[in-house]
Amino acid sequence: MEYNKPLPKLNADSKPFWSGCMEHELRFQKCNKCGLVRWPPSIICPKCHSRDVQWIVASGQGKVYSFVVYHIAYQPAFKDDLPYTVAIVELEEGPHLLTNIVNCSPDDVSCDMSVKVTWDDVTREFSLPKFEPA
Amino acid sequence: MLDAGLCNYVVISYGHNAFSSDSMMKMLMDFGGDDGVFGQFGAASGYAMAARRAMHTFHTGPETWKHIAVGERKWANLNPRAMMYKRKMTFEDYYNSRPLVEPFRLYDNCLMTDGGRAIVITTEERARDLKHKPAVIMGMGQHNTATAVNYSTHLAGPTGAKKSGEMAFNMAGITLNDIDACEIYDCFTYTVEINLQSYGFFGPGEGEDWLKGGTIEPGGRMPLNTSGGQLSEAYFMGLTSLSEAAMQLMGRCGDRQLGPKTNTKAPEIILCSDSGGVSRCHSSFILRRG
Repeated sequence: MEYNKPLPKLNADSKPFWSGCMEHELRFQKCNKCGLVRWPPSIICPKCHSRDVQWIVASGQGKVYSFVVYHIAYQPAFKDDLPYTVAIVELEEGPHLLTNIVNCSPDDVSCDMSVKVTWDDVTREFSLPKFEPA
Repeated sequence: MLDAGLCNYVVISYGHNAFSSDSMMKMLMDFGGDDGVFGQFGAASGYAMAARRAMHTFHTGPETWKHIAVGERKWANLNPRAMMYKRKMTFEDYYNSRPLVEPFRLYDNCLMTDGGRAIVITTEERARDLKHKPAVIMGMGQHNTATAVNYSTHLAGPTGAKKSGEMAFNMAGITLNDIDACEIYDCFTYTVEINLQSYGFFGPGEGEDWLKGGTIEPGGRMPLNTSGGQLSEAYFMGLTSLSEAAMQLMGRCGDRQLGPKTNTKAPEIILCSDSGGVSRCHSSFILRRG
């Protein structure tokens, strides 16, 4: 079946992240100078301004920082998912990632609950990192 | 520009056909970048995310926000220009309105409006010769916290109202106690709460106690968004609040005029705010009677 929801728009900065997702790995930049693990990707560290960087693979463990529950489909393709949960997950390594909480009723989601990554292979080019109760 | 003599009058205007076109939604969709991949769309999403984090951090939620939705509606019911002029709202109506992006209900959201608004700014000297007594800018401040909602680690506030407010109050040489009324940017009910809290009107989680009993309504001790605001009058971004503050100080507000007509104090000083980019930037203005 054709996938008709929006897909990520790749650029030189974000491509390594989405390539990692295809291999079911959460890859983030880590500053070699101050150690900050950052998201979104950028050429310069937002904390110490160093350009010295490496890519690391995150554990996929985190907790819900905040979340919202949609009862309206602003884009028709999401209609069958209602009500669905969009969350900001604070990963163990630090970055905040916008995602969905799946395999969990919206009523059972709460801030600070522990979650772990689960992969949604939506097309041949993209796998989306979503999260479920840990 | 006015002080330097580069011009004599400045007009600040806003106009939009947001209600009858899809331009607002298109703008917000573009604004969201890759958020749509996970079904995150529109302006409510970011503010709802902030509101949820606030609910986790301190006491807030619909029981607090209902006072803002209903209070502003009471002002709109006195304003024939308000989109919601003839539509009353009770606490029950508020609770019964449908959820859109939780924790927000329909009545936590502002309006979409076809229309516009403009203000004229000039020097105090020129203003003295004009037909209407002016409202005078006493102080202003701007602070941009800059962090987008998705990456913020301080999503429960304070917002830029804190620092921009300090700047404006310092410039005006007054304190919060001198404020007679507020015109606060209200894209959502929660936006009003978090910005009043950030200005220091009450401590974190004390909003419900501060608001209950009609504090911001006609007859209340701190009238707020006295045209009905963007929740119940019309959405003209920062100009809804600024134009209403000026009109109130000029005494041109008809049935909703602050003073004996609405059983409130005749205003000497009004605090206004505007914010944008989902709380990334914030402006504060303090106006006084001319």
